Amino acid sequence: MPDIDFTIDTSTGELQMHVRGIAGPACDEITRLVKQLAGEPSREEATAEYRLRPRVHSRTEARVQPKRN
Amino acid sequence: MSKYLAYPQIIFKDRGLLMAALADLGYTQVEDGQDLPLYGYRGDRRPETAGLVVRREHIGSASNDLGFVRSADGYFPIISDYDQRTLLEGRFLPRLRVAYAEHVVETVRKRLRASVRRTVEGSVVKLKVRY
Repeated sequence: MPDIDFTIDTSTGELQMHVRGIAGPACDEITRLVKQLAGEPSREEATAEYRLRPRVHSRTEARVQPKRN
Repeated sequence: MSKYLAYPQIIFKDRGLLMAALADLGYTQVEDGQDLPLYGYRGDRRPETAGLVVRREHIGSASNDLGFVRSADGYFPIISDYDQRTLLEGRFLPRLRVAYAEHVVETVRKRLRASVRRTVEGSVVKLKVRY
C-alpha cells in the first residue's frame, strides 16, 4: 500500500518526507504538491526504484530544510 | 533598543498555512498588506516593513511587531532580537515551523483523502500518510 512518511523534528521544525510504494509520475505529483506547500527542499533524492515501471515499488526521498544563502 | 533580525533562510511558502500555523500558536490577529510598517515596543516606527504583521499588542507589552516579508520563495520572518529570545521561551521560530509542517502534512492528507498515523519518538513526530 502506498504511503508517505513525514518526520518533523520539533527541536528545529525541520520536515522530511519519504514516498514509498508509488510509481514515478504519481510520486512526482506528491512531491510537487509538497513543494508547493513547503518550498524547495535543500536535498532531493530519487532511488533506483523510482525509475522502475509502475507495479514495482518505488521510493523517493525529499528533505525540506531551510534554504542556504 | 531591540534590533530586528531577518531569517530569509526560513521560508513559509504558503500564506494560508502560515496564517493557520500562527493561529495555532495563539496569534490570530494578523495584518495582511504590502510594505506594512513595523513598530518597536515604544511605538517607534522601524525602517523595516513586512507583508504580514502581528502587532506588538497581541504579543506582549515589551514586544515589538513581528513581521513576515514576502519574497519570491514565500514569506520569511523578521523578528526583534528581544522577541527571538523571549517569545515562547525562545522557541517561537521552531514551534512555528513545526505548526506549519503539521499543516503541510494535513493538507496533503486531505488532498489524497488519506489516513494518517501519528507517533512520537523523542523530539521527532512521525506521520505516516496512507491511501
